[in-house]
Amino acid sequence: MSLGALAIMMLLATASPALAHPPPLGVTGFFGGLLHPLFVPAHVLAITGLGILIGQQMPRWGKALPLGYAAALATGLIAIALAFVPRYAGETVPICALVAGVLTAWGRRWPEPLGCTLAAATGLAVALDSPPDAISITEANLMQFGTFLGATVLLSLAFGCAFRLERPWQRVGLRVIGSWIAASAILVLALQLSR
Amino acid sequence: MSPAIVTDMSVRGIRPFVVFLGVAAATPALAHTGSIAGGFIGGLAHPVFGLDHVAAMVAVGLWGAFLGPPAIYLLPVVFPPVMAFGGALAILGLPLSGVEFGIAISAVALGTMVALEAKPPLWVAAVLVGAFAIFHGHAHGAELPPAADAVAYSAGFVIATGLLHLAGIAFGLLARWPAGRFAARSAGIAIAVLGSIFLGRLV
Repeated sequence: MSLGALAIMMLLATASPALAHPPPLGVTGFFGGLLHPLFVPAHVLAITGLGILIGQQMPRWGKALPLGYAAALATGLIAIALAFVPRYAGETVPICALVAGVLTAWGRRWPEPLGCTLAAATGLAVALDSPPDAISITEANLMQFGTFLGATVLLSLAFGCAFRLERPWQRVGLRVIGSWIAASAILVLALQLSR
Repeated sequence: MSPAIVTDMSVRGIRPFVVFLGVAAATPALAHTGSIAGGFIGGLAHPVFGLDHVAAMVAVGLWGAFLGPPAIYLLPVVFPPVMAFGGALAILGLPLSGVEFGIAISAVALGTMVALEAKPPLWVAAVLVGAFAIFHGHAHGAELPPAADAVAYSAGFVIATGLLHLAGIAFGLLARWPAGRFAARSAGIAIAVLGSIFLGRLV
C-alpha cells in the first residue's frame, strides 16, 4: 500500500463531523461570524497561508483566485445553511494550510490552476468547518454572512500585505512565514490524527 | 389527606425526578482544551526554556549566516517543517531512539561548524540540519501538554523556533566585522562546549 493511500485511510478513519466552534468572545450573530475566522487558529493558518501564496505569485496569478475562493466560501456556507453535514472539513483545513505553506516556502513559480484548486478547496473547507452556533435561523444566517465577510477580509489583508512585499529580503520573509505555516499545519494534523 | 402528608409525598416523588435530571444532564469529564492565549504562550515559551534547544536553534541561524545566501534563509526555511515532522512522529506515538543524544550531538556538531566556519555544499548542510531537526521536533512533540490548545500551541512553538533562528542569523551577520566574527565564532565554541556537557551527562 502506498504512503498516500495509507494517509487517506488514516484520515477517513479519524474523520469527525464538523461541530460548531464556540462563539468567539461569547459574541453571536453577525459579529460572532465576522470574528469566527480570526478566532479559529486552523482557519487563520489556512486563510493567511493562501493569501500569502497568492501575494507571492502575483501578478502572474490572476484575480480569479480570490474570486474563486470567495465563490467556494459562499457555496460552502450555503450548503451549511441547507443543513448539509460535512465530515472531513476539520481535517481538510490544516491540509490546505500545509499545501499553501509548502508552496510558499518552496518559492517557485507555480501554475495558476494549482492555485485555483487550492483557493477553492480552502474556501470550501473553511466554510464547511464553520457551522453557526445559533438558536434561530435568522441569527444563523447573520452569523454565516459575518463568516463570509471575515474570511474574505482576512484573505484580502494577507494577500494585500504579501503583494506589497517586493524587496528580496521581504520575499525571503514570506518564504519563512510559509515554512512556519507548513510546520504548524503538520503538528495540527498529527494532533487531529492522534485523537 | 393532611397537608403534611401531601408535602412529604411530593418531596419523595421529586427526588427520583431530580436524580433522573442530574443523570440525564451529566456530561463526560473531558480534558479541557485550554485557552488559545494560554496555548500560544505555552508553545512560545516551550523551546526557549530548554538550553540545549536554544543553543542548537541559534547555531542553525549562526551557521546559515556564515554560509551566506542561499543557506542563510534556506536552513531556517527547511528546519521548521522537518522539526514539525519529528514532532508529528512523537504525537502519533512513533518512537525514535536516542532523541536526547541526537539533540546534544546537534549542539556539538552545529557549534563546531560555526566555530570552524565550515562551508560544506548546501545539500550537506540542509541534510545535517534536517536530521537534527527531527530529533528536536520529536522531543518537543513528546513533551506537548495534552491540556494545551493544539493549534495555538503549535503556532507558538514554531514561531519561537523561527525567532531563535533569526536571533542566530542576526548575531551571525555581525561576522562582517572582525570583532563580530570573533564573537560569532566564540559563540559557536560555547555552543559546542555546552553540547559536550549535555552529551557527557547522557553518557
